[in-house]
Amino acid sequence: MRVPISWLREFVTLPADAQAIADRLAMLGFPVAEIERRPTITGVITARIAALEKHPNADRLQVAQVDVGAEAPLTIATAATNVAAGQTIAVATIGAQLPALTIAPRTMRGVASQGMMISAEELALPGEWFEDGIMQLDPNCALGMDVVELFGLDTAVLDVEITTNRPDSMSIFGLARELAASFGTGLRLPEFVNPGRDAEPPGEEPQVAIESDDCYRFVSQRIDGVRVAPAPAWLRVRLALSGQRPINNLVDVSNYVMLETGQPLHFYDAQAIRGGRLIVRSGRDGETMVTLDGVTRTLSTQALVIADDERPLCLAGLMGGAVSEVGPATTAIVLEAANFNGARVRRMSNALALRTEASARHEKSLALALTDLGAARAAALLRDLGATVYRPRAYGEPATRAAAIALKVADVQRLLGLPLAAQAIEHHLAALGCEIDLTQPDTLAVTPPVWRRDLTIAADLIEEVARIEGYERIPSIVPSVAPHEISSAAFALESRIAHVLEGLGYREIITQSLRNAGSVEVRNPLSEEQRFLRDSLVPGIIEYLAENASPVRVFEIGEVFNTDANGLVEQSLLTFGFSADPVDEPPWRDSHFLALKGDCEQLLRKITGRDAELKRGAKPGFHPGKTALATLDGRAVAHLGRIDPRAAKASDLRRPAYLCVIEIASLPAYETPRYQVPSRYPSTYRDVAVVVDIDVSARDIERAIVAAVGSLCTGAVVFDEYRGPQIGEGRKSLAARVTLQRFDATITDEEADAAVSLLLDALQKEFGAEIRA
Amino acid sequence: MTELASKLDDVTQRFAAAVDRANDEQALESVRVAYLGRNGEVTAVRRAIGALPPGERPEAGRVINDAVAAMERRLQAAHGELESRAFDAELAASIDVTFPSIRRPAGSIHPVRRIIEESCAYFVRHGFAVVVGPEAEPDYYTFDALNIPSDHPAREGFDSFWISDTLLLRPHTSPMQIRTMQQHRPPIAIVAPGKCFRRDAVDARHLFQFHQVEGLLVAEGINFGHLKGMLTGLCRELFGAQQNVRFRPSYFPFTEPSAEVDTTCPKCKGTGLLGSQSCNMCGGSAWIELGGAGMVHPSVLTEVGYDPDRYSGWAFGFGVERLGLTRYEVDDIRRFTKSDPNFLAQLS
Ligand SMILES: [Zn+2]
Repeated sequence: MRVPISWLREFVTLPADAQAIADRLAMLGFPVAEIERRPTITGVITARIAALEKHPNADRLQVAQVDVGAEAPLTIATAATNVAAGQTIAVATIGAQLPALTIAPRTMRGVASQGMMISAEELALPGEWFEDGIMQLDPNCALGMDVVELFGLDTAVLDVEITTNRPDSMSIFGLARELAASFGTGLRLPEFVNPGRDAEPPGEEPQVAIESDDCYRFVSQRIDGVRVAPAPAWLRVRLALSGQRPINNLVDVSNYVMLETGQPLHFYDAQAIRGGRLIVRSGRDGETMVTLDGVTRTLSTQALVIADDERPLCLAGLMGGAVSEVGPATTAIVLEAANFNGARVRRMSNALALRTEASARHEKSLALALTDLGAARAAALLRDLGATVYRPRAYGEPATRAAAIALKVADVQRLLGLPLAAQAIEHHLAALGCEIDLTQPDTLAVTPPVWRRDLTIAADLIEEVARIEGYERIPSIVPSVAPHEISSAAFALESRIAHVLEGLGYREIITQSLRNAGSVEVRNPLSEEQRFLRDSLVPGIIEYLAENASPVRVFEIGEVFNTDANGLVEQSLLTFGFSADPVDEPPWRDSHFLALKGDCEQLLRKITGRDAELKRGAKPGFHPGKTALATLDGRAVAHLGRIDPRAAKASDLRRPAYLCVIEIASLPAYETPRYQVPSRYPSTYRDVAVVVDIDVSARDIERAIVAAVGSLCTGAVVFDEYRGPQIGEGRKSLAARVTLQRFDATITDEEADAAVSLLLDALQKEFGAEIRA
Repeated sequence: MTELASKLDDVTQRFAAAVDRANDEQALESVRVAYLGRNGEVTAVRRAIGALPPGERPEAGRVINDAVAAMERRLQAAHGELESRAFDAELAASIDVTFPSIRRPAGSIHPVRRIIEESCAYFVRHGFAVVVGPEAEPDYYTFDALNIPSDHPAREGFDSFWISDTLLLRPHTSPMQIRTMQQHRPPIAIVAPGKCFRRDAVDARHLFQFHQVEGLLVAEGINFGHLKGMLTGLCRELFGAQQNVRFRPSYFPFTEPSAEVDTTCPKCKGTGLLGSQSCNMCGGSAWIELGGAGMVHPSVLTEVGYDPDRYSGWAFGFGVERLGLTRYEVDDIRRFTKSDPNFLAQLS
């Protein structure tokens, strides 16, 4: 909300420095996004055109005698066309400082001009919001007054952010109250008595029928003798400084009152109301109305409208309708100051995609008492403009004070950690307009002011006490936390995985969870590219690999989403791997795969304390011949392999990519390894080479060797594979190193040789292995 | 005897010449074998002792033994010489130590994780547990239980991605407050880091997918001062011992009193100025906004079955990438999701 400091100053005494005011507002909970400083303007005063005649030497110029309240009038030549004798205007005198120029004496076609008539733009106001040409001031304005001072044009405008719980402070009055309470300076709000309170309307006056539960209070007031014209300059300037475009005196008064009191108003042209009734009711499906912005809107039952007997006239709390808009022909109006269910206004505003200054206030649920205040303020302003105001009529709930809240003095310290005496608490709350009953010294009975709907429980009051006392006065204490049983295991596991992979040379990345494919859809995506929740980390990582010109090694830990019979299933996945330049090697060997597998084995070992078993596996999107499955206790824990080159190419990834996918929940808990004392006797080894069918795996051979030799074998590792014409079609040669060792004595060559012939026999029987020399 | 002596003399002389010629350990070993080995020349000389008269034999044996001892000393010296020459040669080598290193691939954890881990470690030191939870949450945990009923205007501030009428991607980590309090009785002392989603337009300061660190302490006797104490400590942990923390009143439906938490801008040391320029990190304000905090609203405590007259507590939620912007002086928050290798390498 744009808040001219000059407007606040009408009601509260404030420091000279705008920054000090902004800082204080921030420490009250109203951060100031921007302090808009005004340019320096001097020497502009109010004046009246006493006489105006044509310039003797120039058709397009006029020469005015301008009364500035001094003995001698000033002679000012002007090219402006909207000037006439008798007008009150602003003139810049010799030596005046304007944003763009300094006024010096000059001669215009032979006439010495002693100043310049001023337009709104020359006062750094939005020119297009004011009349073309010379700005018209109010006829009863004293002459020779400093215009800058008169209109507060030199004080800064604050852009104040107001939290949704404080619609009372979306107003000059509200912020003035806050500042007065905080600075401890008095508040000078006027007494608001509706000037029409004793005047019975002469003739018919529309009755209000509240047919919806979502209208809580409705104050209506008949005002006659209005005539649409520009509003007085002071009012237009205030609106402009507040960012509100002046329209005409009636619209401007309603906006002015909304900005000042926080109560949005609506004025109906009295002649447009058919049937003599204003009805607050739900919209009807298919009903249409043209709103003030010229848009034809189709309503539903969700809408809340104010209608006459025939048609909707206004969208409640949101925007008026064209049929009852005030205009040049308007002579009488009906004022509405109403209170609606904020949620209903917000739903309607969302449904119609229409937001206004009024709805921004109504949707936060305003205080009932504001209705009477708003009506009184508007009636006073309209009467000052010459209108005849009649008795306001209120419908709906009375605007009574809320019940008192019991505030235990001890609770203030219990929640704030700041010892405050009952007196101080009372002082702070009273400064904000609360009434405090001190009958019971330990428990204050606090009645919030009528404009504060947000104060309902003791904690709300404690915050008020803290705000006025100042949050900075609360001490800073490090608590001692009592022991508890809440587990950090899930986080610790994820963290451990991340650090193991960091050690293995992988960099962690975070890719987008919302993607263009997946099995779970979001209803309101930001774009089609982000319509689905990812069901795998693989596509995001492939895209990342593709974006990088060099090979990279990365991992990501994140949630993926699927559905099953019970609905949405969310899992934590780890995916790690790399892109790599191809290696020149035969098609039955892939060193990159083996490197990935090695990292997978190391990771699983470090996380579970055990060694995983690996075998051939399959996974969609992975290379059918280069994919493995890692298991622990027969449970699948990891899929790893080369990405199907077709899938990679679809993401513009030309390099081979290798990824390992692990569902974190599938990992068994870490099992502490137990130490196995090694044999004190030396080991020996034998290398054996066998030719087997190509579908016999290295692991099959290793396992068979261990099984055949028994406890004498302390290791069997295949270290070479060869295929070629000498070996034969469909066959391959595998070489393995067998480590042999006894726990009770040094193994002899004879024992070792016997073990080898045992295992070779077994390999021959099991796999039809040929023994190579 | 004379004949033997002259033979021995000849052998030792030729031995000396052979040792001198030997340029490496292998040659030296050949010399040793040829002269002192089982079938070497000295053995041949020794055999001649048998032909001497018995009275001369001890003397001859002594002479031969002396000669062998001398030859062995000579060999030892030659070994020493060779070794020292080898060391000299090795030590003569000299390299350019500034030549680029050979490196194994460098791994790293994401700066988001680093901030989360360091924040959590601080709280763990003070007795807190770290809990994690789902990203797709029912609206009950996200809003209703947190005192944000469906018509509450504050819901507008959480523009969320909805999956169904009741399920959404969590726009904050606060659902973990409810989940934890419903599973445990006080004392509750947790930090809950995690990914969140909001339908915000992405720019240099906003992401629609980001991370938060949530904290919650509920027990008897917990007050706002404890919140200040812990968050001041956290800022000092993350940004340095000089940090100050400022609490400004604010509004969140699930806390009362509520606060926005700022810390002194570490870049300009809370002066708002870099030299004579306005600090580009804090925009000259000298403060950096960290996030929201406050005392847990009594309605939230009641919702999870805690007596608000007995228990009190506080909660906070900070944006991790926002912390990262300040901590690493990053110019654009999108860099955290882009995870460019150069970015990761610089911050690891
Ligand atoms: Zn700074």
